Amino acid sequence: MQYFWLIPVISFIAFIITSLVGNKILKQAWIFPVVAIILGLGIYCFGLTEYLQSRFDLEHCVRSSVTGMVGCNYSVGWFSAGVTGKETVDSFLGFTVDPLSLSVAGLAIFVALMVQIYSIGYMKDDPRFGWYYSVQALFISSMILLALSDNFLLLYVAWELVGLCSYLLIGFWYEKPDAKEAAKKAFTVTRLGDVGLLIGVLLIWIEVGSFNMSDLFSYVASGQMESWVIFSISGLLFLGAMGKSAQFPFHVWLPDAMEGPTPVSALIHAATMVAAGVYLVARTYPLFVESEAMMLIVSIIGLITAIGAALICCVSIDLKRALAYSTISHLGLMMLSLGAFGYTAAILHLLAHGFSKALLFLGSGNIMHSIDDLDINRMGGLKSVLPGTTILFCIGALSLAGIPLLSGFWSKDEVIVSIVHNRNILFAISSMILVFLSGFYMIRLIITPFFGTQNRDYSNAHKLPMVMLIPMGVLAVFVVLFGWVALYMPGLPSSFGTFLFYSHPKNFHLEPDIASITLVVTLLSFGAGYLFYVKRISIFQTFKTRMKFLITIIENKYYFDELYQILVDKIVLPIASLVALFDRVLVNDIGINGPGHITRSIGSLIRYHVTGRIYVYLGLMTSGMIILGILWLWIVRL
Amino acid sequence: MLELIHFNILSVLLFSVGLYGVLARKSAILIIMAIELMLNAVNINFIAAAAFKHGGGLFTNFDGHILTIFIITIAAAEVGLALALILRIFRNKSTVNVDQFDMMKL
Amino acid sequence: MNMHLVIFSVISAVLISCALGVVISRNIVHSALFLLFALISVAGIYLVLLTEFLAIVQLLIYGGAIVIVILFALMLTRNEEYPRIQNNKLWPIAGILSVLVLITLSVSYFQSDVIRNASTTISPAGVKSLGSSLFTTWAIPFELASLVLLVALIGAIVIARSDKGGN
Repeated sequence: MQYFWLIPVISFIAFIITSLVGNKILKQAWIFPVVAIILGLGIYCFGLTEYLQSRFDLEHCVRSSVTGMVGCNYSVGWFSAGVTGKETVDSFLGFTVDPLSLSVAGLAIFVALMVQIYSIGYMKDDPRFGWYYSVQALFISSMILLALSDNFLLLYVAWELVGLCSYLLIGFWYEKPDAKEAAKKAFTVTRLGDVGLLIGVLLIWIEVGSFNMSDLFSYVASGQMESWVIFSISGLLFLGAMGKSAQFPFHVWLPDAMEGPTPVSALIHAATMVAAGVYLVARTYPLFVESEAMMLIVSIIGLITAIGAALICCVSIDLKRALAYSTISHLGLMMLSLGAFGYTAAILHLLAHGFSKALLFLGSGNIMHSIDDLDINRMGGLKSVLPGTTILFCIGALSLAGIPLLSGFWSKDEVIVSIVHNRNILFAISSMILVFLSGFYMIRLIITPFFGTQNRDYSNAHKLPMVMLIPMGVLAVFVVLFGWVALYMPGLPSSFGTFLFYSHPKNFHLEPDIASITLVVTLLSFGAGYLFYVKRISIFQTFKTRMKFLITIIENKYYFDELYQILVDKIVLPIASLVALFDRVLVNDIGINGPGHITRSIGSLIRYHVTGRIYVYLGLMTSGMIILGILWLWIVRL
Repeated sequence: MLELIHFNILSVLLFSVGLYGVLARKSAILIIMAIELMLNAVNINFIAAAAFKHGGGLFTNFDGHILTIFIITIAAAEVGLALALILRIFRNKSTVNVDQFDMMKL
Repeated sequence: MNMHLVIFSVISAVLISCALGVVISRNIVHSALFLLFALISVAGIYLVLLTEFLAIVQLLIYGGAIVIVILFALMLTRNEEYPRIQNNKLWPIAGILSVLVLITLSVSYFQSDVIRNASTTISPAGVKSLGSSLFTTWAIPFELASLVLLVALIGAIVIARSDKGGN
């Protein structure tokens, strides 16, 4: 475990090598990143085994009095701030290994490996193949750094690095104006949240005097921190999490981010980076639970995001965008779960969703690769063309819809349990609506492209190489089997709930009434989807025409993009131009160019004495001599 | 009676004439000649001061003469170098008029 | 009327008129000849001051070497302007400045203590005592002066020789 720091370092070296030799020298640019990630996975597996088998009795490892989980800390001195000899504050460059970071890092490494292998086939003909792989390596390096970091400063650095990689990869095909705009939008919107995170981190520094997470937690646990400080710090951190996890009202960037290559969407914008917000809230959970109001805000934001995005997903006609809205909806569900004290449930859902959504995105990548179209109304009948993809896609979709025995079922069930137990009936009903909606849109995404009536010719569809199908198969195996860790986790006497928990271990137990209600709702949604999309019965058609107005609003994503456009045009840009005016007139023209202009005009006034005529200079010299002589006479003699 | 002031006035006259030559002439060679006149004015001054020296003081009896010898030496060196420079410039610009040596002007 | 004063006045008159000839003459060769006569007149002034060694040095170096070098330069830079050299446009100002210098320096001399304290008789400078002073007290500056001459000689050669491999 003490070698975990090697994982990001190896990937970073791969990033440097690939950037240097990428496209031009090395045709097979994927080699270094893939080897790096395989090495990383090896180190990770050894570390995980060591952690599980140690029975938590290791050097550097202590059971945290706050979270109750065993965390192992490895750090070296980084820098000292302040004047030597007077109350200096030492910062440490360290990483922490506890169940939370193990889970998120494991998800990131595993999905990244699958996606990178998949990309060998998917990105094969791209002219910037090497650049793609080098940014991928940089991304995975910073994502692992983000998961392992034990202090907020390093976390912030990694946080911004993953944002940068996201920006670079969304705008990977920068020849497309849409991709360019989407990259800028993603960067700008997440920046808004990042400002909150930065202020929050600085506030922690002011309050606690340390960037170290465990220092913060013990300070909070000691009860020295005032409640409004806790509220504002956790609120600011949550702002960062909202930006990165595309929570309402920062959700607008994620659907546009689908302009990037599909494997990027699978890795960054579905499985790992967008989960960083959830990870941040989970990581600073001791802070959040201290503030009841903040927990309520987290769950409300999560609920609004989840339901709003799920509704859009039901009407979206672009396959990838629909999946993106589904991602937003599930991220909202994780936030809701965190806000409802479902710590384990949220992380379990994060992992299950990560595997399933990566699988779904890779499936849509297959469709993209073979028929080069993403409009689900123009697809239909794909099952005969892409049988393998159909099966894999169905596994992922059903898992997220919550079909029993697939991983999504277990995690979703646990989320619902925590909501029902810890929040009031409104939340419970809303979560049931959410379950219905997610079942509905998933069945829609299965039926319409794969089983719907075939209305176009697929004869020139491209064949899929095995290098794309095998990683998806591995992911599908995980999707099917992973959920069982909710009941029994290999290497542990008991389930995932005793591995990753907050304050006290809690085994998962299936509550039959809640589970059966969820299942019934899911099946109802499937039935509705069947009637709607397969039978196309008339009552639904009339429903559709009656609710035309509502559907138009949903189809236009509640006009959020337009609202933001107006906001930017009418408020932000005028203020910005005012500031720019100040900058240009006062700072630039007067402050900086002013002295220059003065010097230049004085120079151009007095340069006329430089005639280049030597007798003029000599004459001036003589005049000076005469004046000196007269002065001498006057002062000394008179 | 011949006194120091006569020589001083002579040297001042010669100096002024030389100065006028330096300021008014265009040709670099004429300027060199005028500079020689100014140097000679200084020499006359030195030697007159030494010759009319009265008693002790900062300078010994021959310092004026010695300085004149050095001035003549330096003048010889200066004339040699200056004329070499003028030749060089003449070769490049085909003129010795100082008006036209203004390559460093803006 | 003192004999000395008469000789001095005559030589001075020749000197000043020759000097004026140098700076006023339109023909540059005439200027050079006026310069020669002016330098010879200066040697005469030295004789009046009973400094025969310096008079000889003046004749040899100025009258001989320097004027010859100037004439060489004239010859080498000959062009059609030489018979009628123009003054530059600011020559009246040059005249005014020269007169101002003349007045300032003259007034300074009349105000000077040195003039009032000067002896009234000329003390002769023998070659022997001049030589012993030059080679004892002033030995190092004397050697340095010879070094300066050497450097000037080499410098003049380097500067004046042509670029294209000429000797």
